[in-house]
Amino acid sequence: MAVTETDHIQEDLMSRLDSAVSEVFEMMLDRNCTPLTTEVDINEWITARIRFSGAITGECLVYASQTVAQVAAEALLGTISDPSDPMVDDAVGELCNMIAGGWKSKLDPNAAVSLISVPAITRDPVLAPHSGITYNRCYAFQGNVFGVSLAF
Amino acid sequence: MRALIIDDSAVMRKVIERALRQAGLELLEVVQASNGEEALQALRADQGVASPIALIMSDINMPVMDGLQFLETRRDEKLAPGVPVVMITTEGSEPFVLRAIAAGAQGYICKPFTADQVKARVLPLLNAA
Repeated sequence: MAVTETDHIQEDLMSRLDSAVSEVFEMMLDRNCTPLTTEVDINEWITARIRFSGAITGECLVYASQTVAQVAAEALLGTISDPSDPMVDDAVGELCNMIAGGWKSKLDPNAAVSLISVPAITRDPVLAPHSGITYNRCYAFQGNVFGVSLAF
Repeated sequence: MRALIIDDSAVMRKVIERALRQAGLELLEVVQASNGEEALQALRADQGVASPIALIMSDINMPVMDGLQFLETRRDEKLAPGVPVVMITTEGSEPFVLRAIAAGAQGYICKPFTADQVKARVLPLLNAA
């Protein structure tokens, strides 16, 4: 099957995303985080959304189950938390912020001057990207699975 | 010493505080602000106290008042003029860095960061202050 220009663009976008996610988890959580080849159903979502504006228009979503979000929050904070603790939502928002910012910083300088919003966090069961073309990928750290979407 | 940490995320304020302690700073008090406006109020209230804030760590992307507006207002009001300010933010592109430096930031750390990076940026500024 021929490789199209669209395939190259998607591969490039996702490669930069993999790198950004890996950096965030290694530097801030001291955990290895790797991309999965298949999508995984994630229930009881906590979703954080960052919007891009300017040279790039779109959004980055990070979504995780409450349990995985709790594990990530504990790794980030170094303390035990409860799944209902607002700090868990805050932690998912910050992960989204750093992943979106890290991904943006890996673009060419003109695109990297795009603005990013503060994160919006929700526990709604379904939160789909608002934008048109969406790229999804699931990641795992220590067996804990979460998802990231880029939409433009 | 007393430090002012400005970030709209309470999680990130805790992470930054932990990194400062890991860098060896003896923090007697950490004043927290969730946006630039709260930080300005904290600095105004801090004028004339016996042990004033000696370090400011600030995010850029925040609601109400962002970190760059905070820097520019602080400069214009001459609040804590000799206190080192380190920006700690996901906004790493050149226009943001240049504007922050022009408004008085002496250090710039991009998120994600390590405790070692915080130590390397902050300690020289405190030793020079």
